[in-house]
Amino acid sequence: MKKLTPRVIKSKAEARTYSLWAINYFTACGFMELLPWVGSGYDMERFGIVAVSTPRHADVLIVAGYVTKKAVKRIKMIYDQMASPKYVLALGSCPMTGGMYWDSYSTVKRIDEYIPVDMWILGCPPKPENIGHGIVMAMHAIKGGFEGH
Amino acid sequence: MDNEIISSIEAKFPEAVLSSASENKRILLTVKEANFHQILSNLKDMGFDHLSDVTVVDYINEGEFELIYHIWSHSKKIRAIVKTRIPRESPRIKSIVDLWVGAQIHEREGHEMFGVEFEGNPDLSPLFLEDWDEIPPFRKDFDIREYVKKEYYGEDKGYFG
Repeated sequence: MKKLTPRVIKSKAEARTYSLWAINYFTACGFMELLPWVGSGYDMERFGIVAVSTPRHADVLIVAGYVTKKAVKRIKMIYDQMASPKYVLALGSCPMTGGMYWDSYSTVKRIDEYIPVDMWILGCPPKPENIGHGIVMAMHAIKGGFEGH
Repeated sequence: MDNEIISSIEAKFPEAVLSSASENKRILLTVKEANFHQILSNLKDMGFDHLSDVTVVDYINEGEFELIYHIWSHSKKIRAIVKTRIPRESPRIKSIVDLWVGAQIHEREGHEMFGVEFEGNPDLSPLFLEDWDEIPPFRKDFDIREYVKKEYYGEDKGYFG
């Protein structure tokens, strides 16, 4: 294969940045805080982010809210079906530490023990502004050539 | 009307009703396990056509499980709560699927979370839990903290290590 010139590589990254298609795995309050982005309030489509209904079309997996032992298997299944390069955004403290379910028998405490996470967005739940900040930071990283874990 | 229902049940099953109370269209009956199915059947014939819930409480110090049946009458607008107790060592009780079909899913959950055996229920397979090999998690002797530490954090680590 012909080697890509730096300019082509750069434009590839740029094209990727402005067409992030997202598949959502929402279980809890994180979704309520992302809704303003899905809707016209903050409007994620102006960044090129579209919610898709199949993991095979998705570039970004957004995990919002607590993840149960049962759900983590499904999340892994979704993640495995996504085409590379793929990115994972974890919303809220639940996927990081278990959050308020830190001593629950049924919820997974750290989701990065199961799938690699590229961006942690803090909050319990994160505010829409935090989510926007996280998404824009992720877009900067992708523009800089980041191809996911 | 509440007291009429209670007195008719007490008249039919003088030995079985351990205690009863009523207030503001709500009836509470604590009955013996031997007669609970007949009492529920009688209440159904009186017009209690809706089963709202079947729940289990673990009284570990008394060595008993308490089963609570919430039933509701659409015609009378009365809620009845029927309680009965079974020994903790051999938690078996007759299913009420033959009275209210909706009891099936409640009993399945009670079986999964407390390990109560509902005799006559057609399907008591696991409902929410997957790959569960511990004792039922809602029992009071299930140590949640210890299980979580073993399962998620590792024995040698602290909760936040």
